Amino acid sequence: MVERATPLGTDFRPGSYGDIAGGVGVTLSAPPTGTIVEATAWPGRDKALATALGKAAGLTLQPAPGSGAFKEGKAAAFVIGPGRFLVSGKDEALSGRLTQAVDPQTGTATDLSHGRTALRIEGPAAEWVLAKLFALDFSQAAFPVSAGRATAHHDVFAQIQRTGESRFDLYVFRSLARAFSGVLRHAAEEAGYTIR
Amino acid sequence: MLISCPHCGPRDLAEFSYQGDATRIRPDPASTDAKAWYGYVYARPNPAGRHREFWQHAGGCRAHLLVVRDTLTHEIYEVTFARPLPGTGETA
Amino acid sequence: MSPRRAATGGLLDRTRTVRFTFDGQTYDGHPGDTLASALLANGVTLVGRSFKYHRPRGVFTAGIDEPNALVTVLKEGVREPNIPATRIELHDGLRAESQNRFPSLDYDFGALNQLGGRLIGAGFYYKTFMGPVIGPLKGTRFWMLCERFIRRAAGLGRADYGKDPSRYERMNAFCDVLVVGGGLAGLMAAEAAAKAGKRVILAEQEPAVGGFARWSGETIGGKPASVFAEQLAERLAGLDTVRLLSRTTVWGYYDGNTLAATERVCDHLAKAPKGNPRQRHWTIRAGKVVLAAGALERPIVFPGNDRPGVMLAGAVRRYATEHAVLPGDRTVLFTNNDSAYEAAVAIRRAGGHVTAIVDVRPSISEAAAALASEAGVVPLTGQAVVGTSGGKRLAGVTVQRFDAATGALSGDARPIECDSLAVSSGWQPVIHLASQAGGKAHWDEALQAFLPPQPGRSWTGAGAFMGRMTTAEALASGRDAGLDAAGKKPSRAKLPEVAPQPLDIAPAPVFEIKAKGKAFVDLQHDVTADDVRLAHREGFVSVEHLKRYTTLGMATDQGKSSNVPGLAIMAEARGIAIPEAGTTRFRPPFSPVAIGSIAAERYGDLRPDRLTPMHDWHVENGAAMTPAGLWHRPLVYAAPGETVEQAYIREAAAVRRSVGIVDVSTLGKIAVKGPDAAEFLDRVYTNTFSTLPVGKARYGLMLREDGIAFDDGTTWRLGENDFLMTTTTANAGPVMQHLEYFLDVIWPDLRVHLTSVTDAWAGAAIAGPNARKVLEKCVAGTAVDNEALPFMGIVEGAIGGAPVMICRLSFSGELAYEVYSGAGHGLHVWEALMEAGEEFAITPYGMEALGALRIEKGHVTGAEIDGRTTARDLYLDWMLSKKKPFVGSALMDRPALIDQNRIRLVGVVSLDGRPLGGGAHIVEKGSLDDLGQSIGHITAFCYSPELSKYIGLALVRGGKARHGTRAFVSDPLRKRFGPVEIVSHHFFDPEGRRMHG
Repeated sequence: MVERATPLGTDFRPGSYGDIAGGVGVTLSAPPTGTIVEATAWPGRDKALATALGKAAGLTLQPAPGSGAFKEGKAAAFVIGPGRFLVSGKDEALSGRLTQAVDPQTGTATDLSHGRTALRIEGPAAEWVLAKLFALDFSQAAFPVSAGRATAHHDVFAQIQRTGESRFDLYVFRSLARAFSGVLRHAAEEAGYTIR
Repeated sequence: MLISCPHCGPRDLAEFSYQGDATRIRPDPASTDAKAWYGYVYARPNPAGRHREFWQHAGGCRAHLLVVRDTLTHEIYEVTFARPLPGTGETA
Repeated sequence: MSPRRAATGGLLDRTRTVRFTFDGQTYDGHPGDTLASALLANGVTLVGRSFKYHRPRGVFTAGIDEPNALVTVLKEGVREPNIPATRIELHDGLRAESQNRFPSLDYDFGALNQLGGRLIGAGFYYKTFMGPVIGPLKGTRFWMLCERFIRRAAGLGRADYGKDPSRYERMNAFCDVLVVGGGLAGLMAAEAAAKAGKRVILAEQEPAVGGFARWSGETIGGKPASVFAEQLAERLAGLDTVRLLSRTTVWGYYDGNTLAATERVCDHLAKAPKGNPRQRHWTIRAGKVVLAAGALERPIVFPGNDRPGVMLAGAVRRYATEHAVLPGDRTVLFTNNDSAYEAAVAIRRAGGHVTAIVDVRPSISEAAAALASEAGVVPLTGQAVVGTSGGKRLAGVTVQRFDAATGALSGDARPIECDSLAVSSGWQPVIHLASQAGGKAHWDEALQAFLPPQPGRSWTGAGAFMGRMTTAEALASGRDAGLDAAGKKPSRAKLPEVAPQPLDIAPAPVFEIKAKGKAFVDLQHDVTADDVRLAHREGFVSVEHLKRYTTLGMATDQGKSSNVPGLAIMAEARGIAIPEAGTTRFRPPFSPVAIGSIAAERYGDLRPDRLTPMHDWHVENGAAMTPAGLWHRPLVYAAPGETVEQAYIREAAAVRRSVGIVDVSTLGKIAVKGPDAAEFLDRVYTNTFSTLPVGKARYGLMLREDGIAFDDGTTWRLGENDFLMTTTTANAGPVMQHLEYFLDVIWPDLRVHLTSVTDAWAGAAIAGPNARKVLEKCVAGTAVDNEALPFMGIVEGAIGGAPVMICRLSFSGELAYEVYSGAGHGLHVWEALMEAGEEFAITPYGMEALGALRIEKGHVTGAEIDGRTTARDLYLDWMLSKKKPFVGSALMDRPALIDQNRIRLVGVVSLDGRPLGGGAHIVEKGSLDDLGQSIGHITAFCYSPELSKYIGLALVRGGKARHGTRAFVSDPLRKRFGPVEIVSHHFFDPEGRRMHG
């Protein structure tokens, strides 16, 4: 198997950066995501699609707007549009299982494992740093753990899932991942950050 | 301005793209009625007040929305999906 | 010891000394000082020169409304002009300069303007612009001559031409309740809303909350008011549902209860901590807003009212109480209301001397009289200040009998010696944000002030903002507003007692004392009472005209102290009541905002760099990169010493001779899936896709609804219901949106899903006679011969172990293939192709060579599909299906669109051996003196290695009918004129033998 190259470039390298005098505000990382699949249900079939995807990924999924689920280190999924899910996982083989699980009567699935890049931001200042970039309410009341949102920072589309009280996973277009990680690093300097 | 996307909730205007007047009706694709096509492609009522418009939540769920908006005050009265929901023949 | 600092008192940290410079001179102050209070404490009264007349000016206020004391702050090599000294927090190393003076503040040549005062009265700019006639100079030309001098003489601080190195950031915030203003009303509102379970943001523009309580000298529940406010703020800070933002000015109120605010994060520090922004732009989306922005004091307009030493009474009170600074040794107060008496007491308590209180009212309340006696002075009622004396600082005032009912002066003018004068004509609520939110202000006769419009669904108000001027009212209305914002009923619980009892601050309706001399309404723009009357005489009577004609209220302070007096003077001139004269609608920003803070993280190159998977390889291998939308693409891979032209000619020739490779990852790619996918493509493309077999690709053209060509590209059928559409690089987004619109809005019944997969695939095109041989060397799992992979065929295989999809299609006219791999494998596959191509001297080529190859072949791109051309203009008629309707088919055959004489695609050959230029006109006549009319323009050009000539594509009237004729290229901007021959756009291998071979 050929190893996949990261688009993030040499600036995204382990270390501590920014104003870390008062402690580390956030940690940035690029979690290994062998699989990213977008799947969309035909009208009225969103429940069936949620069930099929959930079964393949080992998650309990609901089609409700903004809802999602994740299993630590295994797989994660959330709703990114009407009847539309983004499913990801560590394992490259998950992609095939997911696309097979979606039968033509239910909807379609498209592999985006190469097309999107996952970035993780974690730490006490995660909400603060993300709020600099996105016009979203990141408070837990408005954006609970496991929920997902589709949004944008200027030209960069981002799909975001909360995978912890102070942890978020962001999925961005691969070609913009280096530029966006630069924006994210810049925004995190005030809080002080490490790259893992 | 905020638009309440029926899927994503209230979002900033910057996430949306204006997609035109929602009052016009596209003629039958095979129609050669030039007047009807002219009306569809070019004629715009541009009312001062309540107006029906299409907006796409391009920086979000990508759905096209039907927005009833006051062009004078920017007040938004109603937002629904442009695409009718299955089975009902109506918009959500 | 500072000359004017009281020995004790004030909310200062006297244990620490802060050193700063003003105009190069070093002074000391204390933490808690503003630049204004520290300058006053040091006895500095002259701090600036006025805008038009260069008159000496001093500190006039103690806050945001300051019109006079504008300074330039020098920090880290940057000069920031026009900052009110009243809102600069003193910090070590602060360097400030006065403005609008030459050569120095004390000796200013510009002050000569005072002598010519009549020449630059109201409407000066308009009149000059319209132009007197002076010899050959009239109107605009005269203006242009004068402008240079005027710009130098008039104006405020000088801006910096350098780049602003400061860091700015943006923050998005959400709350149930936003409280604007951290005075007592705002604090009470925030606490009430928070206690009701709401998420609250409280924004206060000053460094400390408390507002008026900090210098009122009152007690609340037996505690000093400032302590009461501090304790309340501490309680709020302890709640995790409340965010207290100090140094934060809310300056814009927009639709959807979205408000804009600027937080000055590091302006008060000598140096910003690493990564910290200087200022932060807040976009706050609030469920409900509580406006508790307070009120600002107004001056009385009288001759000489601008002399250094004249200040607002409330400012004097604040400096005396909060900063323990006295305005002078002998202070006179001049008022039309009771609040000035409290200033008198504050001066006395700080150890100062009050010389006189001049009150326009014939009699005063007992409470006011008691305060006067505490201040040790007998008020001069029924009198007015009619003039001032002194040069760079006040030396005395002249007082005369005054009838408040008629405005008439009588009796002898009597001088009073003094070095400071505190004035007040009552208080104006800060209604700016409510006005921005919509709704009309209304006039309150008792307060002689505009009150905000009725609160609505989006906001409520409290305290002085609502005209509730006393501290007890601020507490009660603040709490009720907070409860209201939280959806609760007003509370009846008892509030702490406020002492002493409040005064009646309703002013007498007197805004101007008409006497001889320049009486300033707008101190910052040097607009006098006579200017307002001149505007009236010349017919500029509406508020909006008055403002523009005189520039009243148009300076950086936006007339915070001058709007109401200016309006009062105009109303009097018109013989109408103030509310009939109206008020302007306030617009954002409430106070000046640094443009950098709005740009925030968007600085430098505003666009994110969009990079292909092979980007780093290109750069490492010497490619000069060129932007294509957000993308970066190789222009040429120039060898050392090669020019761009030499490089692309070499690259293009290598393709024709052997084989080349180009990165085509930037092409837009859209997965089109579903049972109706083929039907959908038939509707959006001009040609048919339902007949395309699986495993084949087809070139497609899309039109817009109006029949104009929109985009082209190949679409590959990967499965019965599975297509991969490619678009031009530039149009990927618009095509996606176009398709989504049709699926969502026009044909919701079609079962088709679209996904952008542009980024999922890396694309490498290899082209040239040896292209197949390269593939044969490296592709596993599939044959690539003509049998297995015919023209427009698709196969799947692997290169270097990475799965690939190969489509045989050609943009260059050569035998060519597009090799697609997962983006993460793109570099790996590219390098494998390079290695396999080594023996054929495979040459990477960039956009220039790609362009040259396609021009030789006559392929169109965005330069020809330019939003104005039709399919027929581009000789793509053959792609217009007659068997089905498609988007654009109904309107594409309108008479004007099928006119044979439209500009249509041709080739052009330079006949003088010189290069052509994109956008150059084609003309018929060969004389520079008479070019005749343009018959078209060049869209693309190159040197053709194949033809050894400069060639181009052009859109020319009549198109094909002109083949074989001669014309001229006219490009005056580039000084290029010369003969060309118009030919077919298929310069090279028109039969396509090479790509089909």
